[in-house]
Amino acid sequence: MKNKLIMAIALVMALVAGWTATTTTAQAATDDSLAQVQKSGKLVMGTSPDYPPYEFQATVHGKSQVVGMDVAVGKKIAKDLGVKLVVKSMSFDSLLVALQTGKVDMVISGMNPTPARRKNVDFTHTYYQGGYSIVINKSDKGIYKDKDSFVGKTIGAQTGSTMYTESKKQTSGTTVKGMTSVSDLILGLQSHKLQGVAMEKPSAQAYVANNKELAMIPSKFNLSASDTSASVAFAKGSTSLVAAANKSVDQIRKQNLVNKDYLPAAGKYLKTNTVNTSMLHYWKAFLKGIEYTLIITVCSVFFGFILGVLLSLARMAQGGVFATALRWLATAYVEFIRGTPMMVQVMFVYFGLGLIVNLPALTSGIIAISLNSGAYIAEYIRGGINSVDKGQTEAARSLGMTKGYTLRYVVLPQALKNIWPSLGNEFITLIKDSSIVSIIGVSELIFQSNIVRSDTYRGVAPIAVIMVLYFIMTFTASRILNHFERKMQHD
Amino acid sequence: MTKPIIEVKDLAKNFGDNQVLKNISEQVNPGQVIVVIGPSGGGKSTFLRCLNLLETPTSGEVDFDGQNLTTLDTKKVNTLREQMGMVFQNFNLFPNMTVLENIKLAPMKVKNVSDADATKRAHELLQQVNLDDHADAFPSSLSGGQAQRVAIARALAMDPKVMLFDEPTSALDPEMVGEVLNVMQDLAQQGMTMVVVTHEMGFAKSVADRVWFMADGYIQENNTPEEFFSNPQTERAQDFLSKILM
Ligand SMILES: Nc1ncnc2c1ncn2[C@@H]1O[C@H](COP(=O)(O)OP(=O)(O)OP(=O)(O)O)[C@@H](O)[C@H]1O
Ligand SMILES: [Mg+2]
Repeated sequence: MKNKLIMAIALVMALVAGWTATTTTAQAATDDSLAQVQKSGKLVMGTSPDYPPYEFQATVHGKSQVVGMDVAVGKKIAKDLGVKLVVKSMSFDSLLVALQTGKVDMVISGMNPTPARRKNVDFTHTYYQGGYSIVINKSDKGIYKDKDSFVGKTIGAQTGSTMYTESKKQTSGTTVKGMTSVSDLILGLQSHKLQGVAMEKPSAQAYVANNKELAMIPSKFNLSASDTSASVAFAKGSTSLVAAANKSVDQIRKQNLVNKDYLPAAGKYLKTNTVNTSMLHYWKAFLKGIEYTLIITVCSVFFGFILGVLLSLARMAQGGVFATALRWLATAYVEFIRGTPMMVQVMFVYFGLGLIVNLPALTSGIIAISLNSGAYIAEYIRGGINSVDKGQTEAARSLGMTKGYTLRYVVLPQALKNIWPSLGNEFITLIKDSSIVSIIGVSELIFQSNIVRSDTYRGVAPIAVIMVLYFIMTFTASRILNHFERKMQHD
Repeated sequence: MTKPIIEVKDLAKNFGDNQVLKNISEQVNPGQVIVVIGPSGGGKSTFLRCLNLLETPTSGEVDFDGQNLTTLDTKKVNTLREQMGMVFQNFNLFPNMTVLENIKLAPMKVKNVSDADATKRAHELLQQVNLDDHADAFPSSLSGGQAQRVAIARALAMDPKVMLFDEPTSALDPEMVGEVLNVMQDLAQQGMTMVVVTHEMGFAKSVADRVWFMADGYIQENNTPEEFFSNPQTERAQDFLSKILM
């Protein structure tokens, strides 16, 4: 998962590098970033809400929303600029790509302004100076004292985070395991796959306060200021916006707002949040996940089918240079799509196409999965068409029917019947594979379960719930498909 | 003298290096029944399929009703093709449609006949082939003989001027051959122009106006049935007849 994700990001970054390079230099020359935000009246903040108390999902007045001290920082900046704050959730790995491709105006996600990151984005002054702790199982208290106690053991850290890099650098004889979400890390800890999890001190405090089986120890990492401080990231060259945000950040520092207001407020959400951690209490979140999963699957199969029919016809086009070109293009498309991971395609549509048209995450997800599914369905249809006896075409043509009518009324209906089981499989596969769009922040079932997991500090229960939910969906779908298959059997 | 409805001039067809039809020139007059016989692989099917351009001739002409089909554009070919009904050895009924739907499809889609008119005509044709009680059956439930009669009715639904038959009884159990031949004989008596590829010598003798003997890509002999069967002219035909009549 982690490697795939990193590969995906690398590929997308490489693909969009050209554009970004040109857009950022253009921005540097004439920086209108501040003016643009003021003109649109809103400031879009990207964050990865599984990192309490920095940012996390909480149920406020029956509605799930992102809260935490970073959101308070974002609100303050937006308020000072006189615009509205819009919070966009996505995985931590995707945040900087989203910033560079203009999906978000700024990133506040407990992010450390490391020199490597500074090359790609601009940071404000530090709004919070933290430190690292290591969370361990309470039963292990006394065994582990700090980062050097884990020789021959495994500790975990969030992939792409500073903790991850520093843990690798500053320990020896210790295996460092990266995972995308902190909830997964805690789960790894509780199931003894990991002996410790390195994270920022406030987060560690939140986890320990909410989970009686956990304890924390100081990390004793040797760290520079930039590694322990959190800053707001903006797109490279947005000097005016950074300058404006710096005014707010300086006030936050001067008035000690984080410690005085933001952290206590976040703590309250954490308390209300964990009052009821039963899975039933979160039925709304799961229902929303099911809804989005089904929307994505149904839309993608529908558009994928249309695309598949067109592609399969293009692949069988005959006569003339145009037909040859069409055939070649369709074949190239199918091969290319089948030869690249769906995850990369999803990210490419969201971030890459996002440079030209600004598509919402859900739309991007549906487009990407339709494009992907179309290539597979095209192959099924081609096989289905070839499986229809040539005599059928000859009979239809001898009756004076055109090629088009023959295909539409005689060949395709029979081809469809032959490939119905394959199409059904594709549908069921998509119910499961649509979970890939969770990386761009679409609230389908996996994404929702991750939210519930970080909300409740319960690692396993939400996974068990969605496992059952997925099974119910696929089982019901296969029953329905079988029913139609039987209905089509008259010969 | 009447004008021929089909006139073939120097028709040739190659599949790669394999020259299957070699300069065939023949004609069919309106109302005539032509039976084409000959050894397997002699090019009979290919010849028949060249007549309605299911197969594109390599060279030569096929004139239908005074028009050279080989020079027409696709759209015109489609219109002329609907005037030549074709019946295949394997029936080629559409398995996903009922008998009635099989017959109605082309008139409705190609000629824009209304559903009511197409249904009415389909029932008439089914009565003609003695199958009206099977109108709502699916092809898979029909016997071979029934299926072939439906296929004939389907071709007739387009009101063709000529009917082409490619071994219509070869795939049938012997006891079903008669019911199909009877329908074809009725059709001939009503004055339908027919080109029939068959191995049914009895049918050739009693129904055909002319017998064309085809082998090695040529029409070797074009004769009346009486003459052909009692006194074949070519050695090739004598050889063929001695084999099948044994
Ligand atoms: N589509 C095709 N591609 C290549 N060769 C073909 C094709 N159709 C027919 N042939 C060849 O052309 C020759 C004549 O075939 P055709 O089917 O016309 O013979 P036939 O007289 O109808 O024989 P039969 O009595 O077996 O039906 C055969 O050698 C056959 O292999
Ligand atoms: Mg044949």
